Amino acid sequence: MSAIFSLSKRLLASNKLSFLLTALVVLCATSSGDVVLSNGNYTWLLAVLTPFFFVFYDFTKLMHLGASKKDYYIGCLLSYVFSAACISLVNTFVHLVVDPLYPARTVINLMDVCGWTENGGLVAGLQQLCFLLLVMVFLPVLLSMQTRWYGWVADVLLVGVICIFTPIAPLRSILSGFFGLVMINGNAVLHIALCLLLSAALAWGGLVVLRKKAL
Amino acid sequence: MIELREVTKEYGHAAVLKNITLTLEEPGIYCLLGRNGAGKTTLLQSIAGYQNVTAGSILVNGKVISTAALDSEVSYIENFANHFNLPVRKLLRIAAEVNPHYDVDFAWDMMERFELDGKKKFRHLSLGMKTMISTILCLASNKEVVLLDEPVLGFDALMRVEFYDMLTESFQRHPRIIIVSTHIIEEIAQTIQKLLILDKGRICFFDTLQAVEEKAYSVSGLQKDVTAATQGLNILGEDTVGGLATRYVFDRRPQQTEGLELHPLSLQDFFVQMVGHKGGRKR
Repeated sequence: MSAIFSLSKRLLASNKLSFLLTALVVLCATSSGDVVLSNGNYTWLLAVLTPFFFVFYDFTKLMHLGASKKDYYIGCLLSYVFSAACISLVNTFVHLVVDPLYPARTVINLMDVCGWTENGGLVAGLQQLCFLLLVMVFLPVLLSMQTRWYGWVADVLLVGVICIFTPIAPLRSILSGFFGLVMINGNAVLHIALCLLLSAALAWGGLVVLRKKAL
Repeated sequence: MIELREVTKEYGHAAVLKNITLTLEEPGIYCLLGRNGAGKTTLLQSIAGYQNVTAGSILVNGKVISTAALDSEVSYIENFANHFNLPVRKLLRIAAEVNPHYDVDFAWDMMERFELDGKKKFRHLSLGMKTMISTILCLASNKEVVLLDEPVLGFDALMRVEFYDMLTESFQRHPRIIIVSTHIIEEIAQTIQKLLILDKGRICFFDTLQAVEEKAYSVSGLQKDVTAATQGLNILGEDTVGGLATRYVFDRRPQQTEGLELHPLSLQDFFVQMVGHKGGRKR
């Protein structure tokens, strides 16, 4: 177990660039007008950047240090949970504390857009955590597949689904229905359960991909 | 124990490993020799589970090895392995944290013996020092099988001597199967117990070093005398100049007769005779 925690610590420590980039964007992003975007939204950038580093930068190096694939994978999942929790905590804090400091403006935070805040700060934070976890588990699966033919098939399928489903009304409703379930969902129990279920399924898929991954 | 059963590895249409069947049962330091492109790295990477083989199977201590193995008993390091750009001391400490079987004392000892600056970051080290770090990490991993791919690359003569001592010491601390691939043949002869020669994707020799010392000879003299003395023996190669000939044999010692010169083959000469090709043909 200590090896997994050490791996997790190392993964987070070597993710400094993602932290710095995210912090820079969060602190420096500005909006003008009466309706502005909350700077807390940009914390989600960390959820997108982190898997890139874990997959393309850390994996080989940790293998060379003698870590096992199993420990690496569990360490990654642990780090995703930790990162998602941190991002969620910061964005919830920004939403509850920093955003109201602009009383004359309408500040849009994605937590509002997704309808999570209707359930109170704590539950909204939890919903955000689960959604970000889903994103962070999904990305490495897709990234790890890129060296294989099925990675390209997955890319084509994703692009195809977005391109075909968006302009055709009945298909668009399926797409919006999916996002309505995993993202813009005010029903906390359903949303959390769905995100966790999908994350678990993707985590299993990630393990399958990892088992095929060559060094 | 390492078992290779009819292992073939192809890249596209090019077969790099061709139907290799091999069993390494006893702990020991094995030397893997082969010309450039013979398939040494592919073989080591396949045993490490870094890549899958096209056909056949590899087992280490009874467990099938492939990329699907999530936790194997094999430690492999390639010669240009890239590590986190951290101070050497920190790098070794992280390795100890992520690998439960890691021999910390051995790693610290080696760091001091090779006068590695613990505060220096990995990227600031010379090629030889980088290779040394990789080798220390691999040997200190304490796994049942250790595979070192060209570990002396970039080492000066003194470092090489120290490396061979380190290899022996590591083996004595924890007897296991250590396979070392190298091109510096004569130097490693003092350290190894068994020899593997890979040629064009096939294992063409696997035996003890003692077998080479006892059976590998060069026989020189008049062509007819040499032919007579080596008749029925396993001849590796032949050189002829005028009426004189030299035959290289791997068999029982030929009968010493007047006018014949018999010399044991050095490991390097033996290797050259085993894999020596000229213009695509065996010499």
